[in-house]
Amino acid sequence: MTGTMMLGLLVLLQGPGHQYRDWDQDQEKSGGADTTIAVRPGTRLEVHDLNGSITVRTWARNEVRVLAEHSKKDQVDIEYGGAVLKVSASSRRGAPRDVDYQITVPTAMDLTLGGVYADVSVEGSTGRIAVETVQGDVVVRGGRSLVTLHSTNGDVTATGVQGRLEANSTNGTVTVEDAEGEMYVEGVNGDISLRGIRSGNVDVSTVNGSIDYHGTVQDDGTYRLSTHNGDVTMTVPTGANATVTVSTFSGDFESDFPVTLTGGRQSKRFSFTVGSGKATMELESFQGSIHLVRP
Amino acid sequence: MKDQWTDRLSEYLDGELPEAERPALEQHLASCEACRATLAELRSVVARAASLEDRPPAADLWAGIADRIGAAGAERKAGARWRALRLTLTVPQLAAAAVALMAVSAGGVWLANSRQGVPAEAARPVSANRLTGVAPVSLVEGPYESAVRDLEKVVQQGRGRLDTTTVRVMEQNLRLIDTAIAQCRQALEADPASAYLNAHLAETMQQKLELLRQAARLAAART
Repeated sequence: MTGTMMLGLLVLLQGPGHQYRDWDQDQEKSGGADTTIAVRPGTRLEVHDLNGSITVRTWARNEVRVLAEHSKKDQVDIEYGGAVLKVSASSRRGAPRDVDYQITVPTAMDLTLGGVYADVSVEGSTGRIAVETVQGDVVVRGGRSLVTLHSTNGDVTATGVQGRLEANSTNGTVTVEDAEGEMYVEGVNGDISLRGIRSGNVDVSTVNGSIDYHGTVQDDGTYRLSTHNGDVTMTVPTGANATVTVSTFSGDFESDFPVTLTGGRQSKRFSFTVGSGKATMELESFQGSIHLVRP
Repeated sequence: MKDQWTDRLSEYLDGELPEAERPALEQHLASCEACRATLAELRSVVARAASLEDRPPAADLWAGIADRIGAAGAERKAGARWRALRLTLTVPQLAAAAVALMAVSAGGVWLANSRQGVPAEAARPVSANRLTGVAPVSLVEGPYESAVRDLEKVVQQGRGRLDTTTVRVMEQNLRLIDTAIAQCRQALEADPASAYLNAHLAETMQQKLELLRQAARLAAART
């Protein structure tokens, strides 16, 4: 039985409320940790990774397996107290170097994943997911209830989210696909694309980037797409009912289908109705083009 | 274009227009596109204001910031007051109050967070405290600029703890936002009554606060 396996057994026997350190002095090149911990339902996983990557997948067990590759000089610290399982790395000398985590968690486990120079990937989770990294990409497939994703300098991609999605990239793109629920997406310098969306509440804004929405327009829904410098493309499904307000300062407006203005036209802000006009749609671009297209 | 009914629209929307005058106003609305558009703007402002989240800043920070906007002691009531605010105010007054609240909330909360050395927490709700009400700039520059200066100070103090790439990204994006703000202001000089331009300026100013707040938190988290 290896030292790592013994550590895993120790965790299983002792349960929550303990701190474990996995020194890896006997492995080649980089150290490595492989630890499995039994967790109670309702436990949240919290991982912080200064450099490297975090990859989370799921399984149908009430256990968390932490597989990590790291420098021999570093260690992985796992602390299970209360309802939180914390995973992080430390070093005997300064900050830890790259640590690549592959973590397997119960499907419904809530996840809080943070990094600095770290890519983060989550697949198959049905718990609440919160991810924040400074320089790295975020990729999430799945996720229910509340999913919050943020990267300062990286791309954010969310696929298959069901619930409330809050996604933000300061200096990267945000892509949301095949998602259902409320969508709040923000950026500063990057394009934002939402495809295959089923939502009655969509709020998207960026400063320097284009916005592309392709999804449902529900009768009681609210859809707001706003950019300062970039195009806005709104796909309006056949049969949709919406009151559309278009605002621009020096941009253009184009529509795949004829529209008749219903309100007063003030400069380049005007409204019109599609179908019975039940949904509210606000499309804004200070100096880009606004397109209404059919699927 | 302004007519005799323009200034009565807020009363109408608020249900405070005398019953005897309502039919006349409604008849006027049927034929006046400008008033219909103004009424729609008012409704939009009210809807956006109602969506504001009440996030009182930390008490130790609130006093100083509140002093600057003459609103000390009002923090506990801010959210409720917003929701209860009646449209007996003009649109610019309503917007000014909204943006002042925005600046105070954003600056205060971020300063509080930076002092606490906030760890790499989960991404904060992106749009929960977004404010997109119209904003007459002259009325809100004081509290807004103060909040910006406070946050810039925090960022500057922590700048040395951030790596060069992060600093470059933050500065580049702040420049982008500053350019957008300048373009909005310039556009407003030509069309100061534009509800869209005012709302867009307010939102862009809010985005700058958000980015500064993010930079402050990153700097604090490295300590």
